[in-house]
Amino acid sequence: MEASGVVTRAGLSLRSSRVDVIQGGVAVLAVLFALFALPQLLSLFWIDTSTVTVIYSIAALGVGLLVGRVGMISLGQVAVLALGAWVSAKLLLSTTLPYPIVLLASGVMTMVMGTLIGLPALRVSGLYLALVTLMLAGAITVVLTVTNFPNGGSGFLGYNDNYPGTIRRPSIATSDPAFFRYSVIVAVLMFALVLWHLRSKPGRAWVAIRQSETAALTAGVNVTVYKMWAFALTSFITGVAGGLLGASQGKLYTFQFPTQNSVILFAVVLMGGIYTMWGAVIAAVLLWVIPALFTIWGIDSQVPTILFGVGVLQVVTTAPAGIAHQFPRDMLKLGKLIYRLLRRPATTASSS
Amino acid sequence: MPSWSSFQPFIPIGVALGGVYALSSVGMVVLYRATGVLNLAYGAVGAMGAMISWSLINNAGVPSGWAYLVAVVFGGVSTLLYGVIFGPALAARDPLVKAVGTLGFALILLGLMTVLWSNSNITRSITFPTDNSGFNIGAIPVEWTQVIAFAFGLVMAIGATVFLRFTKIGTAMRALADDREITATLGVPVRRVEAAAWFGSGILAGVSGLLLADLDTLDPSTLTFLVIFTVSAALIARLRSITLAFVAAIVIGVVDNMITPINSITDYRDMTPFVLAIVALLSFSRGRQYSFARGGIR
Amino acid sequence: MIEIKDLTVHFGGVVPLDSLTLTFESGTCGLIGPNGAGKTTFFNVLSGFVRPSAGTVRAFGDDLLSMPHFRRARWGLRRTFQTEQAIEELSIYENVAMVHEHSSRSRSTRRADVLGAIEFVGIEPDPATKVATLGARDRRLVEVARAVVGRPRVVLLDEPAAGLPDEETGHLARVIQGIPEHMGALVILVDHDMSLVSACCGVTSVLDFGALIASGPTAEVLRDERVMRAYLGTEELA
Repeated sequence: MEASGVVTRAGLSLRSSRVDVIQGGVAVLAVLFALFALPQLLSLFWIDTSTVTVIYSIAALGVGLLVGRVGMISLGQVAVLALGAWVSAKLLLSTTLPYPIVLLASGVMTMVMGTLIGLPALRVSGLYLALVTLMLAGAITVVLTVTNFPNGGSGFLGYNDNYPGTIRRPSIATSDPAFFRYSVIVAVLMFALVLWHLRSKPGRAWVAIRQSETAALTAGVNVTVYKMWAFALTSFITGVAGGLLGASQGKLYTFQFPTQNSVILFAVVLMGGIYTMWGAVIAAVLLWVIPALFTIWGIDSQVPTILFGVGVLQVVTTAPAGIAHQFPRDMLKLGKLIYRLLRRPATTASSS
Repeated sequence: MPSWSSFQPFIPIGVALGGVYALSSVGMVVLYRATGVLNLAYGAVGAMGAMISWSLINNAGVPSGWAYLVAVVFGGVSTLLYGVIFGPALAARDPLVKAVGTLGFALILLGLMTVLWSNSNITRSITFPTDNSGFNIGAIPVEWTQVIAFAFGLVMAIGATVFLRFTKIGTAMRALADDREITATLGVPVRRVEAAAWFGSGILAGVSGLLLADLDTLDPSTLTFLVIFTVSAALIARLRSITLAFVAAIVIGVVDNMITPINSITDYRDMTPFVLAIVALLSFSRGRQYSFARGGIR
Repeated sequence: MIEIKDLTVHFGGVVPLDSLTLTFESGTCGLIGPNGAGKTTFFNVLSGFVRPSAGTVRAFGDDLLSMPHFRRARWGLRRTFQTEQAIEELSIYENVAMVHEHSSRSRSTRRADVLGAIEFVGIEPDPATKVATLGARDRRLVEVARAVVGRPRVVLLDEPAAGLPDEETGHLARVIQGIPEHMGALVILVDHDMSLVSACCGVTSVLDFGALIASGPTAEVLRDERVMRAYLGTEELA
């Protein structure tokens, strides 16, 4: 029976389920709101905060991809973000390349660097990989402390103590609201790139790897190649995010990328949820909007760090079947509940 | 390349810091072997202890001896509390998840420290009375604090080895590392053995924190992330061998400091733990096969 | 046809497979033996997770041992595990399609092959259903579908009936029996359920302490005195 007559099967919907449609709709509305309404509503302070939130949501998406889909924990993603920011600052200050080209280039360069540095790390997995990435973050911080970020000075490093050079923005988005919109569009493209991966062959290979490397290998998945692919994709989008970061602030300083921020980014991604792309947005909001609110309310802006620590412990302990397992189950239960609520005609709403 | 004499002054401090890293990484390995938890909050616990004793000395006028004792006890008690509260809940989980839990603990401590000691304009330091006295080995001046730091590391490494091999509770810890369930059915009081490991390693974290605060610098974030040096040594020891952890820690401490006079790379010297760990990982992962026991098929 | 010659595996001092020489001709072949006899180790050698210290494995003329593990799937070797490994977050269709994607079959046959395999094993829920929502029986069947999709040459089934209630083993037996004929693969079945082995396998080989102690038509093998002794030996001693 080489299956030919049985192909058409009633009710088979392989692509878009109802949940997908709802989620897609909400996402489109959110993006439209961010593009057209937010810049009108917010003060300059909040526009800047929103811009950095959008940028970090891309970095958070990378962490979520590695942890949630492939099961690899990277504790060094802010360091990778800093790499991207360095490359883009260098290109923006010493060339006249169009901004989108610079973004692309910093994504690609970060991808190459991230993959090269990550290559030895990929030979180990689990706990060892997490530890290596933590040390990697420390090492990159050491290098950045020495090199500093380019600010228009001469030489390869392009740093000069007294040089007040500002990293340029795209000519179509020089004002803060315009650059915010620009960042949103870039972020949407990055999310789409990741979504496209998740919905196709690599995405399926990644979940197979996360569930069991052994079973993935017997299913014919070249585990090393797909792990490297995930690392490369993550480095790419994080590099692009770094490219936005430099232009959004005009100046970059090493102290903005301490090792602890890599750990904190990982923490908020865990809290936000690693199995949906919404988790990345929530993570970025936790990371930037919450501390901003705290500052406004006159609470020490480091208090969120304590909360993030508590959040990590909460996520880890209340998911007994594994971070890798419990969350989608909960979501599935919730989804089913909502689905049932939505589907049940209002008149027959009875016990359940 | 600078002459040998310019390297000489950096040997004692390298050996001393290596001794502290050894102290920490031995504690880390023992805890990992007994409980399966790699405690990434090790540095944060030590840092918090050191900060507390600084405040006791400088703000409350407590005699420094007592303040140091408080730091050490804080290390033991806070680590034990973490272990008692979260150890059982995570006992059955993957080592990676257990390590992530301690990362949460580290963030809580780090956040607390930044909030409690928020004034960054004060230069804080901890100085032992042994800092200013010492002796010479040939032309190299050595401080007593440095001797103490190295001695602590050495004694701990030997002590831990002897403890694990020859005492009843040590044997129980080794058995726990191999198979918890079987060990439990053999009548070993698993909880109590684990609690001992948590408390003991916490004490070591407290001692390390004080020594690092003296030898290096008293800064919450710096001390918290000095855990990277400790992790590197533990990693090179494959989270198993105490001897190897000790040797690796000394090597990391010495190499890191001996690079100081070499102008071309001196600024990059703190990459040492990363570089050494990567070299070690590459050398021992060569020819590794996928083990069937890993990857969820259990 | 799979020819195994002098296959030996050492784990330190333990020898789970001791110069095993064995041939699987065609159809569904049983492989039984008491716990620790070396059955799973044998599967692990075939799928590449354990490197033998000596011996050769030739499958349809190809040297299986020289291929990296993930290549063996492309060559046409599939297996299931004692603990079921269907991927929870993916739908039934995606679970099976995922294996097809990494096989040597062309993309154009995917939909037909995948739906064919799902139909063949007899999973009733819609193929778009997520595996996480399925029961034990359907998860097992998804795993079997993953093992048979896209014309594999050899299918290794490691205790497929483990954890299934008796009344559902009958359906599984019919599916396994049908694999050689409908999917064109040689099946090697490891199981402790003798009724399943008798129902599915024309020929059966018996391992004990890593060595072959009997091989032949299933009914005869199960009556063999040495086989009885291997299974009951421990009880007699006790």
